[in-house]
Amino acid sequence: MSTLHLVRQSAFATNDFAQCLSVLDHQDSIVLMDDGCYNLKHSLMDSLIKRVDGTININVISSHAQARAIETLTEINHIEMSDVVELTFNHKKVITWQ
Amino acid sequence: MTSTNQITTPDYPKETGLAIINSKAPFSSNHGKDALDIALIFGSFEQKVSLFFQGDGVYQLIADQDGSLVSIKDYLKTFSAFEFYDIEDIYVCQQSLVNRQLEEVFHIDGVQVQTSSEFSAALNAHQHVLRF
Repeated sequence: MSTLHLVRQSAFATNDFAQCLSVLDHQDSIVLMDDGCYNLKHSLMDSLIKRVDGTININVISSHAQARAIETLTEINHIEMSDVVELTFNHKKVITWQ
Repeated sequence: MTSTNQITTPDYPKETGLAIINSKAPFSSNHGKDALDIALIFGSFEQKVSLFFQGDGVYQLIADQDGSLVSIKDYLKTFSAFEFYDIEDIYVCQQSLVNRQLEEVFHIDGVQVQTSSEFSAALNAHQHVLRF
């Protein structure tokens, strides 16, 4: 059913985030971590936010974004690594894009 | 048959020094640190080194980063030592910054933001290239 997507790579360097979005279902959640935080500034993220219009839960690990001096967006939840534990329990499956 | 043996070599500028291309983001791999170490070693032997930042490598120069938040020893702070090693030619690909919606605000001085053609001309003026 629902899947948790852990996105760990920059979409500017790899195709991973695009592949993630191509299999994204409407009850899934996304967590941006490590270099995945750079995707906040990618055009794929702009189009994703427009497309899902709040129906998909998009999260970013705040310390990972802050370490990289990335400004985050209001549409996106700021979480800690410890919150990922709960997310993994709330979803049927986990896919790590790395 | 007379031969004049006129060999016309085009007048290229002489290629000198080492170019190091940085193409990886700073915190998820050792590439940036390795490139920095090589640059400082060449600098300490008074060899001419130029640094090029392209693709995700441009993230290495962005201001206000803090590796300690992700438990990484922040080698980016060592970039400010470049002037003591006579590393003065630091080039950044403007298109890479634009694609990533980054401002031209860096944590070191003397960074030259260049268009794609300027960037490639600067790179091609070097004798050796290492890419990280």
